[in-house]
Amino acid sequence: MPRVVETDVCVIGSGITAAMLVAKLADERDAGVTVVEAGERPAATGDRPRLRERYLAYGENPWPGDHIDGFTVVGRPHGFSPSHTLGGLAMHWGAVTPRFTPEDFRTRTLFGIGDDWPLEYSDLDRAYEEAEARMGVAGDPGPEHLDPRSAPYPMPGIPLTWNLERLKEWGERTGVPFWGMPSAKNTRPYGGRPACCRHETCWPICPIGAKYSPEFTFEALERAGRLSLLASTVVRRLRTEPGSERVAVAEAVDRTAPDEPVEIRARVFVVAAGYVWSPHLLLLSRDARHPDGLANRSGLVGRHLAGHRGVNAFVEVPFEVYPGMNGQHSLLSTHFMRPDPGGRYLRHDFRIWESAVGRGARLRDDTGAVLLGDEILADWRERTRGRGTARLRGYYDVLPSRESRVTLHDAERNAFGDPVPVVSFADSEASAALRRYSEETIARRFRETVRAGGGTLLSVRPGDSQEHPGGGCRMGADAATGVVDSYGRAHEHENLFVVGAPTFVTAGCTNGTLTMAALGVRAAAELGREFPAREA
Amino acid sequence: MSDSQDRRAFLKRSAAAVSAAAVGCRPAEARADTPSGETSRALPPAILRAVAAIALPSELGEDGVERVVRGFESWLAEYRPVAEQVHGYGSQEIRYGPPDPAPRWRAQLEALDGEARARHGARFADLGPEDRRTLIESALGSGDEAGLPDRAGALRSEHVVVGLAGFFFGSPEATDLCYRRRIAGGTCRPLASSPEVPPALETAGDRPAPRPDTLGRGRPRPDPAASPERGLEPGS
Repeated sequence: MPRVVETDVCVIGSGITAAMLVAKLADERDAGVTVVEAGERPAATGDRPRLRERYLAYGENPWPGDHIDGFTVVGRPHGFSPSHTLGGLAMHWGAVTPRFTPEDFRTRTLFGIGDDWPLEYSDLDRAYEEAEARMGVAGDPGPEHLDPRSAPYPMPGIPLTWNLERLKEWGERTGVPFWGMPSAKNTRPYGGRPACCRHETCWPICPIGAKYSPEFTFEALERAGRLSLLASTVVRRLRTEPGSERVAVAEAVDRTAPDEPVEIRARVFVVAAGYVWSPHLLLLSRDARHPDGLANRSGLVGRHLAGHRGVNAFVEVPFEVYPGMNGQHSLLSTHFMRPDPGGRYLRHDFRIWESAVGRGARLRDDTGAVLLGDEILADWRERTRGRGTARLRGYYDVLPSRESRVTLHDAERNAFGDPVPVVSFADSEASAALRRYSEETIARRFRETVRAGGGTLLSVRPGDSQEHPGGGCRMGADAATGVVDSYGRAHEHENLFVVGAPTFVTAGCTNGTLTMAALGVRAAAELGREFPAREA
Repeated sequence: MSDSQDRRAFLKRSAAAVSAAAVGCRPAEARADTPSGETSRALPPAILRAVAAIALPSELGEDGVERVVRGFESWLAEYRPVAEQVHGYGSQEIRYGPPDPAPRWRAQLEALDGEARARHGARFADLGPEDRRTLIESALGSGDEAGLPDRAGALRSEHVVVGLAGFFFGSPEATDLCYRRRIAGGTCRPLASSPEVPPALETAGDRPAPRPDTLGRGRPRPDPAASPERGLEPGS
């Protein structure tokens, strides 16, 4: 007999989107919420300084065991890292929180390319605000026409370092404005967590909790008795009620007691397991009535995986840059996130970091002669005197093909006998045709920046990886164009939601985590209507 | 079992085997220094210090060099071979640290001493700086790698001299020494002082010292999966 867990809302996955959704539900609605996480709890906050020390000293994973052996992905899953842990991939995030721009949601209407989302920026603005407040975002707004907001950031932005002040002045000589990247890092005590003090290991671990990560939300709700957490529990299937399209049960296995199946029964199910595992679960949930999996009569589950590619450059600038002032903070510009009028379609962000690439100590000089002791130091000083290195990067959006997808492997199985996912990305024809133009134009803009600001372009390299991907359960106005609606509700199953990255129509041209989080907030408002308001 | 599970198990086993093999290759006299056959991480202290005097900058002063050497010894002693390594953004590969470098490094130090006795009839530690340097250069050979590893990367250094140099020059302290400014990378510093130019290091007494309770922290470093070629750094 399976162990049965009954709850109002079953949330599968515990990343940042789930955290935002659950927090809003718990605050506003009288609903029992159970979060099911395949991984385990991360190290306690008090242990993180020690884990950071070992990471710095030896490169050790500060989140050891954050993966399940055998739960791998075949193919090339861009932007995918082991993340089976409470907090999900956000335990590894850099905590940068730019918003998408209004254009991101309407590329078909505005530029005749890609697909529109079934919502607009204005529909998401309040959810963006709420997500920023819930996680604690520090930011100073950019120019209004490039960075529209209806409310200030919850906290003042992270101050620009001496390096970034110089680089801002350098970068703006072309007339392109730069400002500090908004980040979910406290610039004052916030949410019971302290202010950042520039430990510079935001990725992979903040030793003091100044950086937001989802486990803070889950653990606080658990302590308050407003959340049940099933860790080490892998959901393998969703099952519908007989004769109905309502989802009734999540069939799961507790990895600590694998011989005892677990059934989670709920009024509402939320799949919040990222762009690979979310469509994977729906595909695994195939049965006689749903031979292609749940929510998949349109055949769209697993399709339209989308990310953005980057062009990276390293630049020698004509002034000293002191490595280590706050190396993970950066400058951002959204100046190029609108295509040139009359030009070909290209939208990209533009970021600048301090860097030490090519400026480190070395053991041999240019002739190959060995350097030791004082010679190393003298050589190092000579190569850094009066100059420094900066890193530039632009992300441009890659519009997906329908064939960019997650499927089930026909032979390879995980430890529970379920097919592992196969991931294959593909650009749409239009996007593929723009790739060379996009990369060359961004590289040209880098060269123009260097020409105006001074210095030397050391290298330019277009990347092949699609960063911060989404899709696989894309949202659409109806079942013909999307797996879910703009709130994340499955068109075919009224009590099934998919939230976060998998619902992206496109992945924009900047980091998408805040947009995932905002979609979680928006979904919580919608599904929360099924439950009474919580009394204060 | 999937291919990936097989591969992880294989990596763990083979890394452990390499470590064991390195111990087995140690000269007999070195093995005799190790009580009851255990693997000692301790390096011959006198030879190590004689190497450090050549490989580390004299600006540290004798006390500073000794402090760095002690940090290096502690760092090596606390190393856990084949521990799971941090995984880079976008990579699903689970990586493991290298085998214990101590047996190899110990053998190399002993080889330097043996070479000193053979060439000069004296212990390495008793040679003058020029002779020590010549022997070290000879031991390093004509490698292709010009750069020094960061602290965590120093564990993979083929030669102990590169390991020691990487340990120090990959530290925030070394960066401060290079720029002659107290940047203090990776330490807790108020956000409010971010816009200020780091203060100058004016005297030896201004030099930042590693905290005694740490493992000798390295400088916060890029994603280990990254390289200048890939262009990935943290905060992406």
